[in-house]
Amino acid sequence: MGRMGTTPEGSSPRTLAEALRSRDDGELAALLRARPDLLSPVPSDLSQLATRAGTRASVVRALERLDRFALQTAEALAVAPDLAPYDALVALMAGDDGDEVVEAALPRAVALLRTQALVWGGDDRLRLVRTARELLAPSPSRPSPTGLGPTVGESTSGMSPGRIQQIITAAGLTTTHDPVSAVAGLTALFTDRDRMAALLDTAPSEALTVLDRLVWGPPYGEVTSNPTPPVRWLRDRGLLLPASPRTVVLPREVALHLRAGRAHRVPEPVPPAVRAAPSALGEGRPQLVDATAAGQALTALTAVEDLLQDWHEGGPAVLRAGGLSVRDLKRAAMALDTTEAMAAFWLELAYAAGLLASDGETDERYAPTPAYDEWLTLPSAGRWAQLAQAWLTSTRTSGLVGSLDGKGRSYSVLGPGLDRSATVETRLRVLELLAELPEGTAAAQDTLLARLRWERPLQAATAANTITSNNPADRASGPIDLRSRIAAWTLAEAESMGVTGRGALASHGRALLGASAAEHSGATQPTHQAEVAAVSAEAARKAAAVLTPLLPEPLDHVLLQADLTAVAPGPLKRPLAETLSVLADVESKGGATVYRFTPGSVRRALDAGRSASDLHAFLAAHSRTPVPQPLSYLIDDVARRHGHLRVGTASAYVRCDDEALLDEILADRRSQPLGLRRIAPTVLAAQAEAPVLLDALRTLGYAPAAESSEGAVLIARAHARRTPPRTPPAPVPDGPPVPNTTLLTAAVKAIRAGDLASTVALKPTPSEPAQQPASGELPRSTPAETLATVQAAAMTGSVVWIGYVNAEGSASQRVIAPVRVEGGFVTAYDHTADEVRTYPLHRITGVAELADDVS
Amino acid sequence: MSCLIVQSDKTLLLEVDHELAGACRRAIAPFAELERAPEHIHTYRITPLGLWNARAAGHDAEQVVDALVEFSRYPVPHALLVDVAETMARYGRLTLSKHPTHGLVLTSTDRPVLEEILRSKRVQPLVGERIDADSVAVHPSERGQIKQTLLKLGWPAEDLAGYVDGEAHPIELDETGWALRPYQKQAVEGFWHGGSGVVVLPCGAGKTLVGAGAMAQAKATTLILVTNTVSARQWKHELVKRTSLTEEEIGEYSGTRKEIRPVTIATYQVLTTKRKGIYPHLELFDSRDWGLILYDEVHLLPAPVFKFTADLQARRRLGLTATLVREDGRESDVFSLIGPKRFDAPWKEIEAQGYIAPADCVEVRVNLTDAERLAYATAETEEKYRFCATTATKRKVTEALVAKHKGEQTLVIGQYIDQLDELGEHLDAPVIKGETSNAQREKLFEAFRQGEISVLVVSKVANFSIDLPEATVAIQVSGTFGSRQEEAQRLGRVLRPKADGHEARFYSVVARDTIDQDFAAHRQRFLAEQGYAYRIMDADELLS
Repeated sequence: MGRMGTTPEGSSPRTLAEALRSRDDGELAALLRARPDLLSPVPSDLSQLATRAGTRASVVRALERLDRFALQTAEALAVAPDLAPYDALVALMAGDDGDEVVEAALPRAVALLRTQALVWGGDDRLRLVRTARELLAPSPSRPSPTGLGPTVGESTSGMSPGRIQQIITAAGLTTTHDPVSAVAGLTALFTDRDRMAALLDTAPSEALTVLDRLVWGPPYGEVTSNPTPPVRWLRDRGLLLPASPRTVVLPREVALHLRAGRAHRVPEPVPPAVRAAPSALGEGRPQLVDATAAGQALTALTAVEDLLQDWHEGGPAVLRAGGLSVRDLKRAAMALDTTEAMAAFWLELAYAAGLLASDGETDERYAPTPAYDEWLTLPSAGRWAQLAQAWLTSTRTSGLVGSLDGKGRSYSVLGPGLDRSATVETRLRVLELLAELPEGTAAAQDTLLARLRWERPLQAATAANTITSNNPADRASGPIDLRSRIAAWTLAEAESMGVTGRGALASHGRALLGASAAEHSGATQPTHQAEVAAVSAEAARKAAAVLTPLLPEPLDHVLLQADLTAVAPGPLKRPLAETLSVLADVESKGGATVYRFTPGSVRRALDAGRSASDLHAFLAAHSRTPVPQPLSYLIDDVARRHGHLRVGTASAYVRCDDEALLDEILADRRSQPLGLRRIAPTVLAAQAEAPVLLDALRTLGYAPAAESSEGAVLIARAHARRTPPRTPPAPVPDGPPVPNTTLLTAAVKAIRAGDLASTVALKPTPSEPAQQPASGELPRSTPAETLATVQAAAMTGSVVWIGYVNAEGSASQRVIAPVRVEGGFVTAYDHTADEVRTYPLHRITGVAELADDVS
Repeated sequence: MSCLIVQSDKTLLLEVDHELAGACRRAIAPFAELERAPEHIHTYRITPLGLWNARAAGHDAEQVVDALVEFSRYPVPHALLVDVAETMARYGRLTLSKHPTHGLVLTSTDRPVLEEILRSKRVQPLVGERIDADSVAVHPSERGQIKQTLLKLGWPAEDLAGYVDGEAHPIELDETGWALRPYQKQAVEGFWHGGSGVVVLPCGAGKTLVGAGAMAQAKATTLILVTNTVSARQWKHELVKRTSLTEEEIGEYSGTRKEIRPVTIATYQVLTTKRKGIYPHLELFDSRDWGLILYDEVHLLPAPVFKFTADLQARRRLGLTATLVREDGRESDVFSLIGPKRFDAPWKEIEAQGYIAPADCVEVRVNLTDAERLAYATAETEEKYRFCATTATKRKVTEALVAKHKGEQTLVIGQYIDQLDELGEHLDAPVIKGETSNAQREKLFEAFRQGEISVLVVSKVANFSIDLPEATVAIQVSGTFGSRQEEAQRLGRVLRPKADGHEARFYSVVARDTIDQDFAAHRQRFLAEQGYAYRIMDADELLS
C-alpha cells in the first residue's frame, strides 16, 4: 500500500482520516497492532478506519490499555483547549516551573497516543480524538481525573450579561457590554499569572483557604444561600462561579493558576520501579532459588498425581450447574493435606492442562483423561513443563473459587465463570517483571502491584468500579482490584508451581518465559496458531531441560526397617513407586516418602494378584539392606490367611453322602453342560438352575430329591400355577342392544336438530353476500356483526346458525334461537342440543341467518 | 548429599549411617522430637511444643532454620521455614514476671496478643487488674493455670518469675567408687540451667542419680513423688548410698508411714487419696518450704497431681521418665506445668555407651486351640482380650521359655492374677501381686536379687521403679491392653547392664489372630521406634 493521503506535506490534516492517510504503512501497522479491534472486520478504507477508531467502545478499549503517564497526557490534552500546541501540553504536564523528567518522558507519551490514533495533528495543533476528549474532559456529572473544573467560558455560558458585568467590575476589568469579550477578558485575566497574583494578593486569607480546598479537586463546593464573606468575595470576582443554585465551581483557569499550571498533582512520567523484597529467611541466592523451586515443582507434580490417582476409578460427580461441590473440594483438600484454595488450584491446573475432565455421561463425573496417561509417561521435568505451560496460558482463575458472582452464587472449582481474560496477560506481566530483577531476587509485592497499576491504571480502576484518584496514597489503600488480586494469586501460584522459589523467578521459570515473552509481544499481532504452539512447545522443552538437572534422580531402592516402615530417600522410579504404594501405606510425603507395611496393605497387594514369594523377591530386590524378619513374617502371616475363605457363585448344588456316586456323575459326559464342580468330597456346585439340574439327573437315571433352603426335602407335587385375579370376558353380541324408547326419542331429536343445522339454507349476510361459507365450514363474521345479528335474532325471535368453539377448542355448528344477549353471553335455545344454553360471544366464530322458511 | 530429608508434614528423616548424622542430630535435637529410631532412618518431628522448648532453652528461629537448611538433602519447603519462624515467634511475646508492687505480672511485647488472650473466657478468671497497656496482674496462685491455658491458646508464656530457693539443706553427692555418667551430668546441668523441666532417660539408665544430682545442685529441702512404696524405699536406699543424706533426714510419706523430713518421699497414691471430697494429704506440699519437687515416672502423673502442681509453679520441678508418651495425650500439660523437656537420650545411644544392656526382643505367637478359637469368636467384646491373653497355650510356651533359660534370673510378667497364680503354680515360683504385703514383696525381691529365687511371677505392681539388676529374661504373658509405656517399662526391668555383658531377653507371648496381637503391635511401637526390633517366632518352633 502506498501513501494514500492527498494532503500535501507540511500542511495540517483536517480530519483524522486525513491524518491517517498521511501515515506510512509501518505507522498504520503499528496502529492496528496496538488496537487490534479496529481490524475486525478489516475496514474498507481509511475513512472507515478513522470512524471506527473514533467509536466509543474502541476508544475506551484503547484508553484502558494506556499506561498511567500516557493516560495523564491524554487527560491533560482533554483539559487543554482543542488544537493545543505541544508547548501548551508541556506547560500543563510540567507546570510553570518545568520538570525535566516529565519533559523528557512527554514525547514518548505523545508518540504513543499518536500511534494509537488517539491524538493527531502536528505539534502546533495537537488534537485529541473527540470521543476521548468527551470521555476524559470534566463534566458536572463526572469530574475529570485531573480534578479540574470547567473553563470560565463553559461556566458562564448560562449567566445573565448583567451578572457578568458585575463580575468584571469586581475583578477590576474595564466593563464591556459584549458578554463574549467580557468572558474573554476574564479568561485573559485568569490566565495571566502576574495580574492574577496581584488579584489574589488582595484576597482575604480565608478566601485563599477556600481556594486551597478546591484546587486539587473535586472543584465543586456547596454554598448556602447566604455565603460566608470569603466565598462571597471569590464569587464576586468570578474566582468561583455558580454551577447550580447550591454549588459553586472553581474555573479551570483559576485552578491551573493556583496549581502553577499543572494539570496533575503528581505526574508519573516513569514507571515505578519494582524493588527487591527485603531479604527474608535464607538470603536469596540463585542456586537456592532454583533448588527451592525445583523442590516445589516436584511437590506440584506429586499433588496433581495424587489428586488424579485418587480419582483413578472415577472422580466425584459434576454439579448440575457445572463444577465440583464444596464437599468434594474439601475431600480433595483433605486427601492432599492442604487448604481448599490450594486444592482448587491443583484441580484447575489439571483441568487446564487437559489431564482432568468430565466424562460426559448422563451421570456426569470427573475422571482423568487419556492425556493423563500419556502425561504420566513423561519424565518429571517434562510433566512439569506441560503443567507450567498450561498454567501460563490458561484464563481459568482458581483464586475466584468460593467468592460470589454477580448473582450471589459462589464460584465452584472446575465450574463455569472462572475464566478471566486479564489473567493470562497479568500472569505473564508479573513473571516478566520478576524476570527483570537480578537473578535470585524476589520482588516486594507492593512495588510490583504499584507497577502493574501504573501500566494499566484504567483497567485497575474500572475493574474495581472505583474512580481513579491522583493521590498515590489513596491508590495504595484503595479497594483491591481484580488485576492486583490476580497478580497476588500469580505470585502465590508461581511459588506453589515451582516457577519461582522464595519469591524469585527460578531459571526454569525464566526459560519458560523466554519464549512466552516473545509470543506475548507478538500477541497483539495475529500470529498463526501453529506458530504460537511451536514457540511455546519450544519454551516448554527448554524449561524442562533447565529443570531436569535440578530434580533429584529417581531411585530404584528403599530402606526397609524393622518397625515395618520403608523409607524412599528420594523420588522413586515409577514402577517401584506404584508397586510399593499398593504393598504399603504412605505415611509421610515430601522429598522422601515413608511407607508403612500393615496387614491391610499386604493383603491389598495379595488381592492385586501378587504372591507372597513375589513380594519377598520384590522387597529383596529393592532393598539395600536385608529384609527385616518382622516384615517377612508379616507377609507370610498375611499370605497364610489370604484366601483361606473362598467365595464363589453357584446356582444349585448336589450333595450326596456317597462320594462314589458323585464321582460317577462327574465322570458322566452328559453332565458336562450342568457346570458341575466338586467343592467338597460330598458336594458338587452347579452352574445350572435347580429344576434343570433335577431334570438332568433324572434323565441320567438318578433319583434326586429337591432340598429347601433349610435343607428339608421338598415334596414334589404337581405344580399349580395361577394367574393374578382376572374378570371373565364380556360377551360380544352380534350388534348393539336394542335401544329403549327414551333413548330413541332423544336420538331422533338429536338427529333432527343436527340435520337442521347442516342442511339449513343460509341467508346471505347483508354486508358480505359473497361470503357464503361452504357447507361444513364454520360461518365467519366480525364480532360486531355477530353481536348485531344475535341481538336482532333475540328481538325477532328468529333462529340463527352459529359456528362455536368450545373450551377444549373443538369447533361445532349449532342452530340456536337467541333469547337474551347480555354481558358478552348469548342465552339461546339450542336446536342442536335441544336445550337452553349460554354461549360466550367471543367463542362464536360467526353467525349466519337461516333461510326464513326453515324456522 | 546430606543426611537429612525435611518432609512437608514437618517430619525430619535422618539417615543414621551418614557421616554427618552425628552433627546433624546435635543440630536438630534441641527443637525436633525424636519420634522413631529404627535401624536406618530416624524420624524427628517438628512440633510447636518442640519449637517452644527450643526457645525456652535459648535457641532462636535462625538457628533452627540454619540447621534445617544446612543439613537438608533437598530444598526445604519455604512454607515450612516460615511456619517455623512464626511458631517460634509466638513464644515469649508474653512473659510472666515478678513486679515489685503488683506481684506476678503478665507482660506482652505485642499489645494485640495481650488483647486477644484477655478476651479469652478461659484467661479472664485467672488475671487481675490491668496495670498498663502492656501488662496485667496475675493471681500468684494461678501461675500454673495461666501457663497451661496460654499454651492451649497458642501463646506460650515465658516464665521469668523465678523460683523460691526454699529451705536450704546441705546435700552433696558422695561420689566414692562411682561417678555420675556423662549423660547424667548433662541431664542435671540441662535441668538446672532451665530451672524446671523433664529429663527423659531409658529404664535402667540411672534416673535416680539424676534426681540425686539435681538435689545436690539445689541444696534445699526436697519433696520426691514416686509411684509406690517399694519404689519409695528404693529411692531412700539409693539416696542414703549416693549422697551425704542420712536415713534420719529422709522421710517416707505413704499409706503406712507419714514422716515429713527435709527430704520426703511420697507416693502418688497417698496424695490422691480422697476423703469426703477433699484430698487430706495435700498439706504435704505446704508443710515445708520445699526448694525442689521431684516427680518420678512423670508419664504416670495422675490428673489430681497436675492440679496440685499448677499451684507449685514457684518451686523448681524435675520430672523423670523413660517414656514421655501418655496414652491420654496430656504431654502438653507436662510441658506447661512441670516444664519443657530438658534432656533426652535415645535408648540405643545409651546402649551403645554400655550403660544399659542390649536386649533381644522376641514376640512369640501362639495358636489358640480349636475349642479356644470358637470360644474366642463368641466371647463378649470386653472379655475378648482377657480370653485370648490368658489362653492355656501361653502357659506351655512360658514353661518352655523358662526351661530354655534355666539358670538365668527370669521374670514372668502379666496382667491377670488368675493367669499369674496358675503360672506360679506350674513354674513353682512365687507370685507378687497387688495383695502381697510390702514386707513380703521386699523379701522376695531381695531373694531374687541374691539369686535364691531364679523365677519370679509378677503382676503390674512390678512395672516400674523396681530395681532388679540381676533379671536377664522377662516373659510378658499379658498386659494392659495396648499400653506402649508399659511395654517399655517392662523391658526396662531387664536392661541393667549385666556383669558379663550378655544381652537381655524380652519375650512377649501373644495369641495369634486375636486382638492380643493387635494390642501387642501397638505396645511394641514405642520400643520399635526406639530401635528395638522384635523378632517374631512361632510357638510351635519353640515347643518342638
